[in-house]
Amino acid sequence: MVVCALIVFVGRPPILAAAAAQVSETSQAQPEVSSHYLSPIALQLSQDGQRLYVVCEDSDEMLAVDTRTRRVIGRARAGKRPKAIAISPDGKTLYVSNEASNSVTEIDAQTFAIRRTLATGWGPVGLATDRTGTTLYVANTLGNDVSLIDLPTGLEQSRLPAGRFPEYVTLSRDGSRVYVANLLARLGPPDQPPTSELTVIDCARRQVAARVDVPGVLQMRHIAELPPSAGGYLLVPFMRPKNLIPLVQIQQGGYLTHGMAVIRPSRSSVGQARDYQVSEVLLDDIDHYYADGYGAAATPNGRWALVTASGSNVVSVINTLPLSTLLAGSPARRQELANRLDSARKFVTNRVPTGRNPTDVVTSPDGRFAYIANRMDDTISVIDITQQWLASTIDLGGPKQLTRNRRGQQLFFDASHCYQGQMACATCHPHEGLSDGLAWSLETPQLGRDVVENRTLYSIEGTEPFKWNGKNPDLETQDGPRTAMYIFRSQGFNSSEVKDLVGYIDSLRLAKNPHLAADGHLTDAQARGKFLFFREITNSGTPISSLQQCPTCHSPLTHFTSKIQIDVGTATKYDTITAFDVPQLEGVVMKPPYLHNGEALDMEEIWTRFNPEDKHGLTSDMNKAQLNDLIEYLKTL
Amino acid sequence: MNSRITRSMLLIAASVSLLSGTAHAQSPVIRSPKPALYTRWINYSPANGFPTGEVYCVAVDGARVWAGTSHGLVLLEDGRVKRIFTTDDGLAGRAVMSIAVDKQNGDLWAGTFGGLSRYSAGKFTNYTNLTSGLANDLVYGVALQGHVLWVATAAGVNRFDTYTGTWSIFNETNAPFQEPWAYGISVAPEKVYVAVWGGGVLAYNLANETWKPFTDPDGEMELVLYRNQGLIHNIVSSVSYNSETKMFWASTYFGLSGYDGRNWHNYLTKDSGLASNFINAVQSRGNEEWTSTQSGLSELDTKTNTWTTYRRDEHTGRGEILITHADGTKQRIPSDTGLAHNYILNTEFQGDDIWVATAQGLSHGTHALPKE
Repeated sequence: MVVCALIVFVGRPPILAAAAAQVSETSQAQPEVSSHYLSPIALQLSQDGQRLYVVCEDSDEMLAVDTRTRRVIGRARAGKRPKAIAISPDGKTLYVSNEASNSVTEIDAQTFAIRRTLATGWGPVGLATDRTGTTLYVANTLGNDVSLIDLPTGLEQSRLPAGRFPEYVTLSRDGSRVYVANLLARLGPPDQPPTSELTVIDCARRQVAARVDVPGVLQMRHIAELPPSAGGYLLVPFMRPKNLIPLVQIQQGGYLTHGMAVIRPSRSSVGQARDYQVSEVLLDDIDHYYADGYGAAATPNGRWALVTASGSNVVSVINTLPLSTLLAGSPARRQELANRLDSARKFVTNRVPTGRNPTDVVTSPDGRFAYIANRMDDTISVIDITQQWLASTIDLGGPKQLTRNRRGQQLFFDASHCYQGQMACATCHPHEGLSDGLAWSLETPQLGRDVVENRTLYSIEGTEPFKWNGKNPDLETQDGPRTAMYIFRSQGFNSSEVKDLVGYIDSLRLAKNPHLAADGHLTDAQARGKFLFFREITNSGTPISSLQQCPTCHSPLTHFTSKIQIDVGTATKYDTITAFDVPQLEGVVMKPPYLHNGEALDMEEIWTRFNPEDKHGLTSDMNKAQLNDLIEYLKTL
Repeated sequence: MNSRITRSMLLIAASVSLLSGTAHAQSPVIRSPKPALYTRWINYSPANGFPTGEVYCVAVDGARVWAGTSHGLVLLEDGRVKRIFTTDDGLAGRAVMSIAVDKQNGDLWAGTFGGLSRYSAGKFTNYTNLTSGLANDLVYGVALQGHVLWVATAAGVNRFDTYTGTWSIFNETNAPFQEPWAYGISVAPEKVYVAVWGGGVLAYNLANETWKPFTDPDGEMELVLYRNQGLIHNIVSSVSYNSETKMFWASTYFGLSGYDGRNWHNYLTKDSGLASNFINAVQSRGNEEWTSTQSGLSELDTKTNTWTTYRRDEHTGRGEILITHADGTKQRIPSDTGLAHNYILNTEFQGDDIWVATAQGLSHGTHALPKE
């Protein structure tokens, strides 16, 4: 749903988020600055609650904050794009995952000295140690797996397959298992509802014990576990899309809703998926939405839980007693909750404003305070849980002047520009530009026809026109008021804000392609695949027409797209057009499913199932090994 | 290992008791080169919940036993059929030809006649010729080498890096495949051995990425001019690398071959205790070579050159054990229970127990313990 992210409007000022109001004030003709923003993304408290460790993804560092003085007292350099933090059971060691370095930085919690750098899988984000502090579990987003690192040796012992794009990891309170939340739903037929997975690892066996289905949702992020006295539930924020129906009506959750999975774990660490009871509740109100749930935490006694709405600059405070009562109903009643916008008022006691783009949240050991990382304004919100208000804001010291990209980034995450705050650009493009992997029925006049797959925002600069029908010649048009009215159903941004947003989107890149060697050297298979990509004759020596040669439509001179619309034989009877915009191939490995309607779940299927007449390149003469080589090359782009 | 030795000694004593036909509770343990025998068999058939038809393979994962059958993948726990997985459950194909359990993460890989399946914590993920880099949907063999999965298919061999998702294919275009049908695969620390139906054995050297063929020196002739001249026949049904002896063994439809890196060791029915020259599979462990033949299960003890063959008496349903000693003398020992069928397809060990895949059910063999 590339259009979703690119359509931006000036909406009404957010009601709750005072910080968000700064956008319009600062978006006018500010001089460009070249500062590194901090972008706090993850938090960890020391065991005594006196130190708050803050991971800053844009400045590549970890900060230590004294929670009494609320000042930064130390910092440590991490790797590239640090994303999450774990603390050893004895509290003496910190582990920070570096998503763009494929590593974990081990830090002395007292001196902040770097001890070691541990190699992980691809794109590490969430991490947790076991009870003994001997094994570190690291979720690798790009590898779709979890690395188990033996901490005494610092070496990876094994990798466990997770779901799709695993991001956050939590050790259960009893230490018997590790829960992994996967950001994206499993790949599946585009006309079926998405199903996401909570991956459960048995710490004793070091194996995946269960893959718990969480139906109808995606973008599960942080996991909070209530103590047994409060029901022992896992709370996992999610987004619940309505992509299978035409986006005719936005109100009453017509496009999507936000909520949390409430999962009662198996009593046994080796319990199977069916032993987990999965319920879903919405955190939205009937006339206002709390977009892009991100962080989740509970007080030690489990009485209160907090879930941040990163697109709404709010944290929802949840009274777990009425929540438990609500969940005690019949299975049919529980099932209803996933679609009821009148539930939240029964258990959400307050919506406390935070800074801009609240992500992670942690609670103090005494249950009095919650600390929230505000990624887009480099602050920490301190919430008084007892009073349920914002007690103070800690300034982490980031640059105060906003660059154009930073302003655009703030807009990207901000749902206030959408009708009733239902979604932000980031809602359908999580992980700053990723595709949500869903096919949406966006073309309102066709009412269900022309269902199109969402597209990534990585490396789209210079790949205009946009939309699968190629009707938008540039990002500014894509972000224009006409399209915006169909998506956000609100007013558009002003021209200055559109420029900010476009500048930011143009800056988005796939951080690091793990399939390409650091020096750019191609493996033998990749080199053979490159030859096939650029070939002009078939295996038998027959010339291939230019229209059937890969580079004709996927020109390497223009980001591997010819920037025109081509009929490659993939239209179905539900499409009103037959020629579709040629997508750029950079970062293509990150983009499944493929084709305009998302029917090809992997790259092979583009040619094995959906290219019967060689209209999508001449591939029918290729043997299986050649097709494998071609794909290996494409994965390097 | 010590416990295993102790147990083996006890079992030898048990077998001696059986051979002599008397119970010797007070008798001193007699040292004997005679092998420990499997005298108690429990068979799994439709009568106790097992699917009908052939059992192609069996794999042990701790206390769990997996069996690949012509009608799905069967999980046994505590001696009972716990579950039968079929295509309705997500399995890629009905006929499961091979199984490999990843000891690192507990996942199971199943080679089927509808593609490759990965079973992980209750979920199947399938890889087929259309949806992945799999060379062919007829998957005969799977073997894990760390995080790399080797797959023997009807169109060559795949190497699948489970970390990177990279598929490689080895076939006649880049390896000395005389035929494309890879029937079995066995991994060594630095090598991979492939059984090629009609093409002998191929060995892949990981270090220099080269292939070396081992083929029958007399071609397709179904006779052996010189006993240990080379691989006994090119129609190879399976291969098994033994990390203890550093040898690989190849089962063919015309006899058994072993190669120690210097010499070949070939066996035929006419000059050994091998039950049949038509061998479906071989499993090498320690000094034992277990051959799954069309006429029974034969074990060669290479230290004593003693053959032991297990068969089922088709008339009585009871078992019989035929021992062929190095000097050619033979002994026949009856047992109350026997294999499910004499057409043997594969074997697997669970400690000292043996699991035997047959054309009509799965058999679980245990040793008889000496009486107190």
